[in-house]
Amino acid sequence: MSNFDSLAYFLPELALTVLIVSLVLASVLLKSDRDRIVWIISLAGLAVTAVLLAIQPATDQSIFMGALAVDPYSRFFKWIFLVATAVIIIASPYTKQLDGSQRHEYYLFLIAVMFGLFLMASSLDLIIVYLSIEIVSIGSFILAGFLKDDPRSNESSLKYVIYGALSSGVMLYGLSLLFGMAGSTNVFEVQAALVVLPEKAHLTLAVALLLILVGFGYKISMVPFHFWTPDVYEGAPTTITAYLSVAPKAAGFALALRILGTAFGSTGDLNIGDWSPVPGLAFGSVIAIFAALTMTVGNFLAIQQNSVKRLLAYSSIAHAGYMLMAAVILNGQAFGAIMFYLAIYLCMNLGAFLVTIFVHNRFGYDEIDDWKGFGFQAPLIAVPMGIFLFSLTGLPPTAGFIGKVYLFSVLIEAGQYWWLALVGILNSVVSLYYYARIIKVMFLDGEPTDETVTGHPVMTGLILMLTVPVLLFGIYWTPLMGAVQSSLKFFTQGM
Amino acid sequence: MDSLQSYLFISIVMFCLGLYGVMTRRNGVAILMGIELILNSANLNFVAFNRFGGLGEHLPGHVFALFVIVMAASEAAVMLAIIINLYKNFQTVNVDEAHEMSG
Amino acid sequence: MIGDYLPILFVFLLAAGFALGALGLTHVVGPRIKTRVKLSAYESGVDPVGPTHSRLNVRYFLIGLVFIIFDLEVVFLYPWAVIFREQAAQGPFILYEMLFFLVVLLVGYLYIWRKGVFEWE
Repeated sequence: MSNFDSLAYFLPELALTVLIVSLVLASVLLKSDRDRIVWIISLAGLAVTAVLLAIQPATDQSIFMGALAVDPYSRFFKWIFLVATAVIIIASPYTKQLDGSQRHEYYLFLIAVMFGLFLMASSLDLIIVYLSIEIVSIGSFILAGFLKDDPRSNESSLKYVIYGALSSGVMLYGLSLLFGMAGSTNVFEVQAALVVLPEKAHLTLAVALLLILVGFGYKISMVPFHFWTPDVYEGAPTTITAYLSVAPKAAGFALALRILGTAFGSTGDLNIGDWSPVPGLAFGSVIAIFAALTMTVGNFLAIQQNSVKRLLAYSSIAHAGYMLMAAVILNGQAFGAIMFYLAIYLCMNLGAFLVTIFVHNRFGYDEIDDWKGFGFQAPLIAVPMGIFLFSLTGLPPTAGFIGKVYLFSVLIEAGQYWWLALVGILNSVVSLYYYARIIKVMFLDGEPTDETVTGHPVMTGLILMLTVPVLLFGIYWTPLMGAVQSSLKFFTQGM
Repeated sequence: MDSLQSYLFISIVMFCLGLYGVMTRRNGVAILMGIELILNSANLNFVAFNRFGGLGEHLPGHVFALFVIVMAASEAAVMLAIIINLYKNFQTVNVDEAHEMSG
Repeated sequence: MIGDYLPILFVFLLAAGFALGALGLTHVVGPRIKTRVKLSAYESGVDPVGPTHSRLNVRYFLIGLVFIIFDLEVVFLYPWAVIFREQAAQGPFILYEMLFFLVVLLVGYLYIWRKGVFEWE
């Protein structure tokens, strides 16, 4: 489709572009009350984007001469990014940690990162793959170091920028090899070229795939490319930690699944569900090993943590491992399971981080042991936290349980890789230990008091709102699964 | 001399040098130089593949290289800004001395 | 085949020989009067002041960064210019695309201007 005709399908992204430009203007032209006005403009802009996304015709095609896809798959992820960004922006004025920094620029970068995430979910061209990852990364580097006078925030952004720049550079080298083999940057042409690739080039293909996996692995914090995660998550402002642990990770999965599925598949029709890798690639076993490592390392390091923020950081690595587990199979069912889990993970992880922000605001606590008796002081916050933690562990009747059931069932139905399912189940048991430790400290340690603590109603409201899907989809998950099923269709250009 | 192999050889040498620089250097600015080497080695690949790949009038590799150059500049700007901030907070550009957090 | 390049080698040798010869000749025959001013470091003809390894003002760095970024953004004008004639025949949309890009760049310029990057004191 030509560039001009494409614009009609690009309206949400265009709205975001206009929003970014107007936020830049607002942040230099406004004289007073900038933080508040920019906050309102951002939320209004997000609302406009949401409306445009909702009324977008439900098509399945590529725009800008095959560079971007507009399909149900990308739309599903765009909703995830929209919700995550909106929750973070709403919560930000009520975060004490950000006081004294220039919040208006912070919103600007959040929106810019979200624009990159939109592109990540819909990229069909190697150039867009690299560009969108870099847009997201550069925005995230700045956001992680947003507390300029805090050495920890500074250190976290430094580590992030070194790891991020290095791994995207390595990925770029892999993309250049892929381009050399295919002679095109379009993923469909890459796929067509790889299927007929002569056997002597299979080693090069494997090297290119591994180098590209470095870039994807860094984005979803897959072991062994996870080293940045704990430090960045600990040092960054907590709102940003919450955002990074959810939205770019979801985008990383969206991008990796689409590119791996489209470019490296020999049959290619993921919509039906019989995917097999390009001849010469032992793709499943490689991902299986990475997934097992990711889960295990994440969980065992999380046990040793005393800071809640750091614990959640390691546990987010473990969750990436659970989702990678399904990516071993790469068929329609696996994609559905991953998307379902991501939607639930969005709610429960954001919720857990919001509670951490609440506690930090109110008491300035960081360590788990400081949370003693919190369950009695603020039951309205502590009970949702308990629900989020149970859901992260994967206990019924929460949505996390259903999500995990779907992930495991992918492996079990596929027949092979039963050992990976076993590793996953053992890891869930391990994770129960550290999640339950927080719950124990909150509700069993410490004395009951009559004094109850309340936070700002907006924060409380957000936390309670995030509890609803976690509980609801644990009992009645058909609507969410229905939405996932109908989104399980990506643009395939007549394959 | 003017063959794809020689370009690929130079590019892989640049890539390895860049990787080596990133891994061994402790000065933030030197690490940045290593990363730039990696990006430019990929750029060389793109341009070489485009020239020898028989793509004729199509120049996707060159366009990719242009985008990478611009991205590399923006990334360098952000990284240098972070290093300046590091100097303000820690009075050093040595990345090893920033170790407030560990574990 | 390699013989085709022989004239180039001669030109190269001639140029190198002339340059080295001229330098060597002045070194041999030229008179040398060493004064304090002559021995001092050359700094564009101005008297050198202060230590050579002084720290540069961070402003130079900011201006340099801004220059690099805007300089490189302009690189996108080249591929655009290459296909402009062919695309413009189908309508003015390609012009609007680039105008939009330039407006966004201009907003960035406005931002750094208002942030005071260009103010020296």
